[in-house]
Amino acid sequence: MKVKALRMNYGLRLFLVSILLILIGVCFLTQGGALAQPIVLGVPISRGYPDGVDAERGITLAVEEINAKGGVNVAGKMRPLKLEISDTRDLEPGVPVAEALVAVERLIIEKKANFIIGGPIRSEAALAAMDVLSKHKTVSILSAGVLSPAYHKRIAENYDKYKYCFRTTGSVIPMIGGAVNTFESIRAKKGFDKVFIMVQDVAHARAAGTSLKEGLEKKGWKVLGYEVYPTGTTDFSVGLSKAKEGQAQYLIPWFDMPEVSILMKQWYDMKVPALPIGYIHALQDEGTWKATEGKVAYSVVLYAKAGSVATKAIPLSEGFVAAHKKKYGMEPRSEWTSTSYTVVYILKDAIERAKAVDPEAIISALEKTDLMGTYGRVRFDHKSHQIIENGDPKETAVGMWAQWIDGKRVIVFPNKIATRSLELPPWMK
Amino acid sequence: MHILIFGLVNSVILALLASGFALVYGVSRLANFAHGALYILVGFSTWLFLNRVGINYIGSIVLSILIVSIIGGAIYRFLLIRVKGMPDSEIIASLSIGIAIMELFRWRGFISEAYMLPPFIKGSVNLLGVMIDWQRLLIIGVGLAIMVSLWLFTHHTKVGLSLRAIAQDKHASMMSGIEPDRTAVIALAMGSALAGISAVVILPLGNITVETGYMVLINAIAVCIVGGLGSWAGVFAGALLLGFSQILATALLGPHWQMVVVLLFIIITLIIKPSGLLGRQKELEERV
Amino acid sequence: MERRKERLDRGIKVRTEGIYAISSWRGIAYMAFPTILFVVGLLILPLVVPTMAWQRIIVIACLFALLALVFDFLTNFVGIVCLGGAFFTGVGGYISGLLNSAWGIPIIFTIPVATIGGALICTLFLLPCLPIRGIYFAIVSLMYPLLFARVIQALDIFGGTDGLPGLSTFPNIWVELYLILPIIILLTFGLKRIVSEDFGIVLRAIRDNDQAVRASNINITWFKTKAVFLGSAIGCLAGAYMAHLYGWVGLSLFALDFSIFPIAATVVGGGGTLVGPVIGAFILAPLSEMLRAFGPLRVVFYSLILAGLVIFSTQGLLPYLERKYHQFERWTEV
Repeated sequence: MKVKALRMNYGLRLFLVSILLILIGVCFLTQGGALAQPIVLGVPISRGYPDGVDAERGITLAVEEINAKGGVNVAGKMRPLKLEISDTRDLEPGVPVAEALVAVERLIIEKKANFIIGGPIRSEAALAAMDVLSKHKTVSILSAGVLSPAYHKRIAENYDKYKYCFRTTGSVIPMIGGAVNTFESIRAKKGFDKVFIMVQDVAHARAAGTSLKEGLEKKGWKVLGYEVYPTGTTDFSVGLSKAKEGQAQYLIPWFDMPEVSILMKQWYDMKVPALPIGYIHALQDEGTWKATEGKVAYSVVLYAKAGSVATKAIPLSEGFVAAHKKKYGMEPRSEWTSTSYTVVYILKDAIERAKAVDPEAIISALEKTDLMGTYGRVRFDHKSHQIIENGDPKETAVGMWAQWIDGKRVIVFPNKIATRSLELPPWMK
Repeated sequence: MHILIFGLVNSVILALLASGFALVYGVSRLANFAHGALYILVGFSTWLFLNRVGINYIGSIVLSILIVSIIGGAIYRFLLIRVKGMPDSEIIASLSIGIAIMELFRWRGFISEAYMLPPFIKGSVNLLGVMIDWQRLLIIGVGLAIMVSLWLFTHHTKVGLSLRAIAQDKHASMMSGIEPDRTAVIALAMGSALAGISAVVILPLGNITVETGYMVLINAIAVCIVGGLGSWAGVFAGALLLGFSQILATALLGPHWQMVVVLLFIIITLIIKPSGLLGRQKELEERV
Repeated sequence: MERRKERLDRGIKVRTEGIYAISSWRGIAYMAFPTILFVVGLLILPLVVPTMAWQRIIVIACLFALLALVFDFLTNFVGIVCLGGAFFTGVGGYISGLLNSAWGIPIIFTIPVATIGGALICTLFLLPCLPIRGIYFAIVSLMYPLLFARVIQALDIFGGTDGLPGLSTFPNIWVELYLILPIIILLTFGLKRIVSEDFGIVLRAIRDNDQAVRASNINITWFKTKAVFLGSAIGCLAGAYMAHLYGWVGLSLFALDFSIFPIAATVVGGGGTLVGPVIGAFILAPLSEMLRAFGPLRVVFYSLILAGLVIFSTQGLLPYLERKYHQFERWTEV
């Protein structure tokens, strides 16, 4: 017995020693390899989630393209971009937001990140990170997640403190404005006016749901129901039955959780005679059609920003989608790939115009940004650092509504970039 | 009517999720917190066999359930056996093994919406005015079949009887030649297989995500606690109670109250009667 | 030839037992060395780490250490397996955050108010469950934070899922550090003192055999209540501190990690020693940071380390070090 106990002890020692070795290895790995005077881009994102991976892909693609062309021209000197990606786990339930904040802080202090781009993705984490960014005077441009209107409100209310924060993903308020217009134009075409709203229980979705409800009711629509589902819900049968009984003609889901594909499957299986049209983040992925065996057919998905599906109306989107397909073997999965790809170019443009990387110069350069991205023309509001959107892609940034038809995502709204017109499922006719 | 039908479906799903956990706990007094991990393990491995290796659907299901039951048994035989009898250590060890398995999948990139299993029977049917898909009806069928076969197994086969004997009186059954460690290995293997079966019938409803593993674990524990740890009828009662209260809360209060109701049930049950609705009351063991 | 290892007390340990310890400087040094090492080690730790980010990580490790301390105290000295770490941080953090954001009360007042008020609230909620034993209590305490988070979410109060940003923060990192470090040292040794006094003896008796204590006409619920109040006060302090560290309060203060981490720290450091879990927290929190380079894989490593420690060695670091300090081992022939 004694001998066995001792042997176990050796096993434990071996185990601990091997862990120590791995750790030392990691420390060496993370320190090696520095390029001459690169501009460091810190990317704090949740790598364990599709959203994080999508953003990472967009940023990596753009950085590789820029570096292949020699880098960024800072006052006549070409400097390459260097990516420092850090896992924040901010999208995982059960992980404190402090985790993400430490990640941001370490990127700034240890990796000497000149700029923070991409995330954090969860609104709660991004809002808390604003204070960290302003404390370290580091310019950040969010390009994934965070649709909460609170972000711009804080910048506008306290410009001097939060002027370091920019956001290209947009906020739900202009998104809803655009959505209401879209619904109006659908009503003009198809004539339906009864909607059933289902939203996820997160701040941006709730804000979207309530303002959509008000906006539509003001225009004379009939809102039959408004339901809030907690994140992680796996059964939507009750809501769908209600929608069916009330003879809703549009189902407006507003979700960014992956379980929402269950909603679509249930909708298809129950043959609910209402067209699903809304912000259904999980359905943006090209692979969804195959995975659900086509049960997402006819549903219309809003992308906060266009670009992840190629359209002739925005020339850059075609090149971007092709490059992404070449590198990753698939079309961009969600809007965050498009926004995160463009964000690197926005930054490059600002650095080249400012001819420096210090925050004050970059902020004023960013405020004067005016360039074409994969989702239209990029300009920021000077007061709230909000991207100007909803209009002609030649004038402002645009979102897009894509419908699933025959295994493809086709853009049906806004009309300027649409490639096809809206179709209704056969059981609605 | 839809409350009745979907409440029933929901309850059977919960009962299925909890069955494996309850079996393991009932036999070996071991709270297997790796349950959720084994559940998604089956989901992902079936997906892999089906889409990457190219085995047909039935084959992949059988293969993954076999694999997961071997893994489940092995976890007990080689790891958990060392901490047997120390409830805290058991829970920490099994939970960390479970988290390791789940996060391994996250690391390998199993995180997109594309991981879904096809349903066995496609299409839906109109049942008493409620449209319901065949898969959900199948779940009810499978759930009932599993309950019945488990009952038959534990009451009419030698192995099953020895499992029950260990659960009822460990020392007496050890004296009659039943080895507790062997039965515990069998229990864990069976529990894992049950997790696997429930995974392959339930997962086609949605997609396979890592978070599902955590949800499954929480639901399984909730059902077992409310119903009574280590009691079969309790699992049924707990599942029915929680399943219908979830659907009712969704219908009457709104969906965001669903989880609140479940948590309240657990807390109230624990405060009033820790052994659960139908658990055998062991007053002195659970409260002062 | 059979050999076996034998383990004997060091001579100096035997000589320093009892009053004779103070008869020589060497004896005093031997007695005081571990304590001084711990105190001085904690105090100079912020000075030796490379960057400011690591100082921040030390502050976070401190907060986790407080939670681990509570867990160890309640589990190994009172016999209440309390997984309510997240409950304490959440309640403490929200009270402090609300006071600060709604009425602009400065940190100096919000943290103490949150500590005491939060402890009252937590104790009130845990009171009905106190008679429940073991694993059942653990599950109730684990469910409370989930319930609170869901209720805040469902009612959309206190900032809902956005949280309450923009609270006041500490003036600089040194204040952050040297406010919490002495508190940790004070609480660690304070609790060590409490558990060896009469109050602590009753608590340990409750852990060992509550029926016997009850038979001696001692109201065990009252004693447990006092212990839980003490524990939740420390937990709420950690939560309130966390809220002001980043100037932000949100639902993730109820995150499961706050309940799970203390267990891990106690396993690593050694349960029942109070100092052990603190050391465990100071090992695990930086370790988790170092593993960040692995991305999602780090949780795998983390849980494998934990599982390995639990399965292959249930003793913990501090008891191991204690043994090495006080005893020596040698091979003898049988």
